[in-house]
Amino acid sequence: MASVWLTGLALVLAGPVPALLARARWTRAVPRAAIVLWQAVAVAAVLAAVGSALAAPEALLRVLTHPQDRTGVPLVIAVGVAALLASLIVVRLLGVLVLLAVRTRVRRARHRDMVDLLARAEQNLAVGSLRSGTVLRVLDGAVPFAYCVPGRVGREGRVVVTGATLDTLCPDELSAVIAHEQAHLAARHDLVREGFTALHQAFPVVVRSREARDAVALLLEMLADDAGRRTHGDTAMAGALDAFASSGASVDANDEVLMRRDRIRAHVRGGRALAVGTYLAAVALVVVPTVTIVIPWLGEALPVVGVR
Amino acid sequence: MSLGTLARVALGELERAVMAQLWSADAPLTVRDVHDRLERELAYTTVMTVLGRLAKKGLVRQERDGKAYRYAAAASREQMAAEVMIDALGDVGEDRTAALVAFVDRVGPAEAEALRRALDTPAGTPPPTPPRSPES
Ligand SMILES: [Zn+2]
Repeated sequence: MASVWLTGLALVLAGPVPALLARARWTRAVPRAAIVLWQAVAVAAVLAAVGSALAAPEALLRVLTHPQDRTGVPLVIAVGVAALLASLIVVRLLGVLVLLAVRTRVRRARHRDMVDLLARAEQNLAVGSLRSGTVLRVLDGAVPFAYCVPGRVGREGRVVVTGATLDTLCPDELSAVIAHEQAHLAARHDLVREGFTALHQAFPVVVRSREARDAVALLLEMLADDAGRRTHGDTAMAGALDAFASSGASVDANDEVLMRRDRIRAHVRGGRALAVGTYLAAVALVVVPTVTIVIPWLGEALPVVGVR
Repeated sequence: MSLGTLARVALGELERAVMAQLWSADAPLTVRDVHDRLERELAYTTVMTVLGRLAKKGLVRQERDGKAYRYAAAASREQMAAEVMIDALGDVGEDRTAALVAFVDRVGPAEAEALRRALDTPAGTPPPTPPRSPES
């Protein structure tokens, strides 16, 4: 029975749940809690998939054989198949994660090196008020945009803005943008994104991993926006987003920026109750299946294999 | 500012100065050439160290010329700037790496594509190091 429940749970967590959560609007009011909920969905989905892979052969064995036959060769085969299925999922995910981590770090190191060489030295000093631990780099560029590149562990990340950004934004707006980027770096938002990117690369078709990745990316932007709002005010953060959106030529990427601007202007900020409820849902997603399905199953399955 | 940070800042500034010399030169330079062009009080070995670091990072090409090594920028300043832009702007869609990190403003794939076409390089590969093309 556990096998059926776990398979069902894995399918629901991989399909309809991410689809609904990606379309939900209330998440914008509580980005931090919503990101935790997304992470819980991902963890629960992977655990359920691994669990169902482990439980399925044993369930088959139980259906196909008499209790006294569940020893010897059939049992060894069942355990072997279970271990193989489960490790396929785990190894695939871990393999993708490691490869992604290595490639990403190589790419970032090269990007940091190039940005350091290309930066306009004289303007780096002009923009003050940087928290220690980050380095601002100003690049030549006619399009205003800003981003950040995490540093190696223990080293400074880079906040990169184009010259056009300095020309376009007023000082308050620029400070808000820098606070936004520093929030990304300080809270290691890159690791959150990396996790969901790995999940998508490991299981691109089966699950709604792309929706998950993109929804989390947008929530991380909103979370960083909130950091800029806290330190420099709603007007400055919304103004900066407005300037970015109106200068860019492309439409689809700008939709997101405009959505973030309007969210700030509408003063969307979630209540405590919504945040607490979301956190509770996240905890429940991981704990409830474990307590109700996995532990009873272990109680039945382990004695069969001879473990007590 | 700690001593270590100070040393790193100075080193970064030195790398920029050395790179500027390589970018402005018509032909590959020896360590001595770079040292003389820098016109400041620097030990020869310091310049050699900086060039070695840049070569290790893949930003400078090292070629043997008789007894001496000659150094050239692996890409022109314009090409490197374009590579940075493509790397940053192309940070959307299906990539083999995770994001550099999120953007306040993201320029869409169309722009990144246009940039790539302007550079005439296949997607995803860094621009090669062809003869200088000021228009890119
Ligand atoms: Zn951002």
